[in-house]
Amino acid sequence: MTAMPNPEPEDLNLLDDDTFRLVVRRWVEANYPPEIRNPPKRLHWAENKVWYMKLAEKGWLCPAWPREYGGMGLSASKQLIMIEEFERHGCARTNDHGIVMVGPLLIAHGTEEQKKFFLPKILSGEHIWCQGYSEPNAGSDLAALRTEAVEDGDHYVVNGQKIWTTLAQDANWIFCLVRTDKAAKKQEGISFLLIPMDTPGITTRPIITIDLHDEFCETFFDNVRVPKWNRVGDVNKGWTMAKALLGFERIFIGAPKLSSYALGRLKLVAERMGVWDDPEFREKYTRLRLDLADLRVLHATFVEQVRRGETLGPDVSMLKIWQTELFQRITDLSVEIAGENGALLEPMEGNRELHPSGLFLQARPSTIYGGSNEIQRNIVAKNVLGLP
Amino acid sequence: MSAAEERDESLRMIRDSAAAVAPRGGDLKRIRDLRFTEPGFDRAVWQQMAEMGWVGLRLSEDAGGSGLGMAALCALAEELGQGLVPEPLIPVAMAARLLPSDRLGPVLAGERIVLPAWQEQPNSLETVGATALSGGRLSGRKVFVPMAAGADAFLVTVPGGLALVERGAPGVSVATEQTQDGGHFGTITFDNAPAEALPSDALPCDAAEALDEAALATSAYLLGAMDRAFAMTLEYLKTRQQFGRLIGSFQALQHRAVDLQIQVALTRASVEAAAATLDAGASPALRQAVVSRAKARASEAAMTVTKQAIQLHGGIGYTDAYDVGLFLRKAMVLGSLFGPAALHRARFDAVSPEDEEE
Ligand SMILES: Cc1cc2nc3c(=O)[nH]c(=O)nc-3n(C[C@H](O)[C@H](O)[C@H](O)COP(=O)(O)OP(=O)(O)OC[C@H]3O[C@@H](n4cnc5c(N)ncnc54)[C@H](O)[C@@H]3O)c2cc1C
Repeated sequence: MTAMPNPEPEDLNLLDDDTFRLVVRRWVEANYPPEIRNPPKRLHWAENKVWYMKLAEKGWLCPAWPREYGGMGLSASKQLIMIEEFERHGCARTNDHGIVMVGPLLIAHGTEEQKKFFLPKILSGEHIWCQGYSEPNAGSDLAALRTEAVEDGDHYVVNGQKIWTTLAQDANWIFCLVRTDKAAKKQEGISFLLIPMDTPGITTRPIITIDLHDEFCETFFDNVRVPKWNRVGDVNKGWTMAKALLGFERIFIGAPKLSSYALGRLKLVAERMGVWDDPEFREKYTRLRLDLADLRVLHATFVEQVRRGETLGPDVSMLKIWQTELFQRITDLSVEIAGENGALLEPMEGNRELHPSGLFLQARPSTIYGGSNEIQRNIVAKNVLGLP
Repeated sequence: MSAAEERDESLRMIRDSAAAVAPRGGDLKRIRDLRFTEPGFDRAVWQQMAEMGWVGLRLSEDAGGSGLGMAALCALAEELGQGLVPEPLIPVAMAARLLPSDRLGPVLAGERIVLPAWQEQPNSLETVGATALSGGRLSGRKVFVPMAAGADAFLVTVPGGLALVERGAPGVSVATEQTQDGGHFGTITFDNAPAEALPSDALPCDAAEALDEAALATSAYLLGAMDRAFAMTLEYLKTRQQFGRLIGSFQALQHRAVDLQIQVALTRASVEAAAATLDAGASPALRQAVVSRAKARASEAAMTVTKQAIQLHGGIGYTDAYDVGLFLRKAMVLGSLFGPAALHRARFDAVSPEDEEE
């Protein structure tokens, strides 16, 4: 048996992986709020804040950030162990845009002042972020975005509309791509702005998903004044940074988390439906299990790249494709074996863990968000395979 | 007119008449408003459907029906699927097929809604289970009865035949669970409930046959639903622009659309062939084989097509306000009702030895 280290070292990388796993497991079991285990839908800030704050207090909010910025600087294998242990316990996803995207963006491109101002506020839960990239006519063709920022002294004045802004109604800050030069080639006139959501002129309107959840929003900007200080990187250089950041989003979506969660649910549904020992089912299940096992190790190689400080290449798109389609195949099979129960609006028998139709619907957009899988395939074909 | 022309003409008339309830390409506001309400459909519309003779479309003229066959019922069901019509025509038509003629009048007239309650397990086509009638009293439990909250009576399968029981009879309780399409399933519990016995030898048709017909009509409904979701998607591919081009000009999407069109075409062929086989008078084994073939195809193709319809729409496809999602959610429900694809494949394999093909 692995023994618990006493006291816990400050740098958890010093622990061997088995001990680290045990440390994480014990802590999660002791600290995770039971009422939000295995939530059937993406939680709002009001619901998941308690977990975010627990992680923040413990210093475990940002496993991938370097230690000097308040992160854990964890090795790839230990980051994965954390994902697995959180998953195993049924931990909810938090409002994590600050952790996954804004932090890495500022660490790479922010000024010292910006880092000092923003990073601690992500770590403390004071700033909750949302992502303002997509627009009604700029989805896959993101560089076509039209939300405009016009200089006015030491401010920008922002006008336009963002859409599909996940959990914008919970956020107090939004990171936006805006057009700062209309004359330039479309990729070369875009800048990165960080905007407080309480600035006059910003309104958000929730959009209901097919899962009947107010998970995303339309966000409108009407003469919104933003200090130039809030621009990240040089003017008109937003696109390059955004592209680098998309790598982080893809590695995040490509993490085995969702598929692993769904596979656990599939097993429960299979047991409940009495097919767990059915050889035909087991053949399908094992195939999915192996698809997940290989995803885990592929994912680990990308995580390790990030930890070494390398920029992710276009090949990370393969991870995003494989994870999201695996997630869908797993939830497809869950709905299939559940038969008529796979059509129910609510979980089966009031048991939150048995909700094949809910998970199936939640898996649908994963091949759309973070760059659709069609776009990811275009990227791999062109930029990895060098096809003409 | 040749017999074939006459048949085509009557199918065309039926499709046209469906426009009264489900106009081609009509908006889905009525359907949205009825979602997640009980009973989940509109009794006045039901009345109208009955007055057009739809409940008895497939019944002989002697029985008060229209004497049209499964081809006609399937053509109608396809139109209803295009419009996601929630009124329970397929289950009530199944009940009408089973009821003795002296009980049919009010059912055909739309005054009385009798829903079949045949199923006791998920993933099953078995009509007989533990629910039984003894001395005029019914005990047991039936599950997954669609739109059960709107029933006036249930036609319950029991060993040796059927039992007709009033919804409001003592000992009958109906618990409903909402389904993804905005309708519901009822679990009906009978606790020594007074019921009328309808022994099988007095019935016009056996329950297994009526069930197969309902499964086939459901396949046709799914065909209509996937066809419309696909049409909406094609339209979107021809109007949505990204990268300065219509997205339908991207070859990856063109190929995807072609693959979906193939699924729709296979489903149509399979459903029409099955209806023709039933109308020509098929042995039970042949009937089971063709119905299972059609339902397996329709259930699976409907999921494939409607899932891809969302994917090809991008973000807007994932919103509740945009109609394409309604078709996916309908496919989730009807894909499994009257047997999901895997079960029908298994039954096909069991009843249709390989050497009978070609
Ligand atoms: C649940 C969810 C959450 C989201 N959260 C956010 C968020 O927080 N912030 C944010 O900014 N955005 C968010 N998005 C938006 C998301 O990034 C976009 O939906 C996505 O980029 C696709 O854009 P679109 O919806 O405009 O679809 P379109 O770009 O119009 O695409 C429609 C279809 O065409 C295909 N297509 C387009 N171009 C090509 C091509 N060149 N080759 C082949 N196929 C092509 C697409 O793959 C898709 O199938 C979210 C989306 C969803 C569904």
